[in-house]
Amino acid sequence: MTAQSLSRPLSSGQMPPARLLRIGATLLLIVAVGLFAAMAPGFATASNLADVAEQSTVLALLAFGMTLVVIAGGPDVVRGGIDLSLGANLGLCDALYAAMSNAGHGDGTSALVAVGAGAAVGLVNAVAIIRFGVPPLLATLASMNACAGLELVVTQNTVLTTDSPLLGIVAGPGALGLSTTDWILVAMTAALLLVMHATPVGLRLRAVGLHPRAARAAGLPVAAMGAGAYVAAGTLAGLAAIVQAARLSGSSPGSGDILLSVVLTSLLGVVFSRRLQPTIGGTLAAVLFIGCLVNGFQLVNVSSYWVNGIEGVLILSVVALRSLLQRPG
Amino acid sequence: MNDQAGEAALSLQGLVKRFGATRALDGASLVVRRGSLHGLIGQNGAGKSTIVKILNGLLQPDSGSIAIDGRQVVDASPRLIERLGVHIIHQEPMLVPGFTVAEALFLGDEPRLGAGRSPVVSWRTMRRCAEEAIASRFGLALRGDTPLDQLGAAERQIVQITRSLLKAPRVLVFDEPTASLVRSEANRLFAIIRRLREEGAAVLYVSHYLEEVRDLCDTVTVLRNGRDVATLDPARTSVAGMAALMVDRDLGAMFPTRSSLPGAPLLEARGLGRSGAFADLSFTLRAGEILGLTGLVGSGAKELVAALFGLAPADRGTLLLHGRAVMPASPSEAVGLGIGLVPEDRRRNGVALDASVAENATLPGLVRFVRRFLLDRGREQEAVRGLIARLAIKTPGPDAPVGALSGGNQQKVSLAKWLGTGATLFLLDEPTVAVDVAAKVEIYRLLADLAAGGAGILLLSSDLAELRGLADRILVMHRGRLVAELRAADATADEILTAASGGAAGSAPDGIAA
Repeated sequence: MTAQSLSRPLSSGQMPPARLLRIGATLLLIVAVGLFAAMAPGFATASNLADVAEQSTVLALLAFGMTLVVIAGGPDVVRGGIDLSLGANLGLCDALYAAMSNAGHGDGTSALVAVGAGAAVGLVNAVAIIRFGVPPLLATLASMNACAGLELVVTQNTVLTTDSPLLGIVAGPGALGLSTTDWILVAMTAALLLVMHATPVGLRLRAVGLHPRAARAAGLPVAAMGAGAYVAAGTLAGLAAIVQAARLSGSSPGSGDILLSVVLTSLLGVVFSRRLQPTIGGTLAAVLFIGCLVNGFQLVNVSSYWVNGIEGVLILSVVALRSLLQRPG
Repeated sequence: MNDQAGEAALSLQGLVKRFGATRALDGASLVVRRGSLHGLIGQNGAGKSTIVKILNGLLQPDSGSIAIDGRQVVDASPRLIERLGVHIIHQEPMLVPGFTVAEALFLGDEPRLGAGRSPVVSWRTMRRCAEEAIASRFGLALRGDTPLDQLGAAERQIVQITRSLLKAPRVLVFDEPTASLVRSEANRLFAIIRRLREEGAAVLYVSHYLEEVRDLCDTVTVLRNGRDVATLDPARTSVAGMAALMVDRDLGAMFPTRSSLPGAPLLEARGLGRSGAFADLSFTLRAGEILGLTGLVGSGAKELVAALFGLAPADRGTLLLHGRAVMPASPSEAVGLGIGLVPEDRRRNGVALDASVAENATLPGLVRFVRRFLLDRGREQEAVRGLIARLAIKTPGPDAPVGALSGGNQQKVSLAKWLGTGATLFLLDEPTVAVDVAAKVEIYRLLADLAAGGAGILLLSSDLAELRGLADRILVMHRGRLVAELRAADATADEILTAASGGAAGSAPDGIAA
């Protein structure tokens, strides 16, 4: 029998590092918003904040998808769940919607094709990863490339301008002075929060991601749930594509160039959660944080290109902090 | 054998399981009766884990029959087995990290709001049921929302067991449940298991620890080479008797007889200390001597070994090696001085599992085989074959990956790598943990041979039988100080335990197996 040290409850005077990180991140968010409110004219107005939400909706839907994939695949950045194809999938679905719409198809058909294509990409990822055991990083890197190529096939690398009743509604005003896009964000957030926290799905997905053998021992369909997360993420990319089409009035090359922000917000969202785990709420906080940064920089006339640099630094910091916290001993 | 036990709850008859040419099970049978605690022992490779996997539904036997409560089971899937009431408490807990107690208990079977059919989970009910389940069965007040990582190993085991109990099990299988528990936690677990027996459960208890099995079980089945070679009453059998059945030879010669008289001082410590770890340590290790070292967690014994190998150097006192003052500041310096370490966690620190036996064995002294900047593979191979023969390492060949060897043979490779470097001082940290009896015997013989050849050996161990059987003297540490130096031949287990726990006589402290 070995003499072995055991994990013990933290002594009462000591702040758990996870909590410290969450408080620090929240403070940073408050400071950033406070700074912009003080320095940028018009930042802290209701209409501007509604704009921030509107501009963040596409990113939020993709980041929600990434969050589901990370929950079901495990938090390890290299071996765990990740979907690099989400951005390219968005671009492809956007182009498909615009092309279908321009070819004279109705909104219903065009939207179905766009969302269906997104789900299909998710299914391809799921089959490659769950059925054939390809590491998620590689499988989705490949499907990212395939999506980007297909998008070029559809658009011939040109801007597809399109207009349709559906896009008009999505971009148009909704209830309470908010745009329909704002309401889409609210509705999707609420729906996902409900599914992940009120039903057993969230708990079970976490089990599948963190300890698949335990999940199997508990009788859960581990493979199906893992696959479901990729399909759900692809479907969310398809939905985001319709919002994107409404915002851009069609599709333009490079519109799917959003991957880094998706990765960042799903990673950053972890520090806003109580147990340092990916959650829908944490991801939303991270998305709005990045949205405020972009918007605030614009208002104080700092080039938005700086935001890319800041995003890179944030990714490195979050991953480094998490590795530090998880290092044994 | 056990006349008061009830009808057969689990009956395995003539199980055969082949993997390629090897027979993992070769006609194994055992019967676990209701209200009895049935031990299953055997060396690594005897077929214990194959039986557990078959009971889990993860493997199908090639032939033989399984009956649960008298009903024949065919094509058992994990789900079917669980429905029939067989639950396995795995060695490695099947608990999701980051989950709370309540989440871990009810994963997959979450209480719902309303009539129980709604899709909405009632987290309140879940927490309350979890607290009640644990309190009613174990008298333990655990909050349902406590994260598992704030629990001790024994409490996590309790959560795991409660999870199985919630499903009203007919048969409970414990697979090495104490491997990660310290003594007091293990005792708590034994009390729990005994209570389960009183309540009429049929328990199959699989373990390496023969003392545990003897003290706990009503009946013991011994597996050897995939067959049940004996079913015996532990009250009428000694541990040595059980071990003898496992290895098919007498265990009287488990520890080699050592005749050599220790020679000149090889290592002398004078007032050695490292702040926060240990202080004022003075001792001498002579050439040809095996010096035992033991202590509880936090005694500083592990830290002393780390200091001697330059991992966390001492900051006070002097150290003489062959009469020369030294103080290794890094492992490479220690290796240069002829010091070798066989670390506790061999799979992580002792060997490179994916590298071959040859690569592992020659790694520290690789420079010996360099001729004009190039590695002389022929000479390396020759040296490796010599080491394999000398240590009796059971390997398909020098090029086989170490990960494919058994635990005992991995440990021999971990030791072999120092033999070629001309090391004279060997530091061993728990060298026989999770090593089967036969490999243990060989490692003991090897250490005795090394000492007879003039090497000095510092053996850090919590296995008192090992310390008393193998060492010449035993140093006992407590809270960073040397509290006792005992002659191994006269030392009793009580004496060692008493010293290690700081003189509080009588009580068996955590972490040391008597």
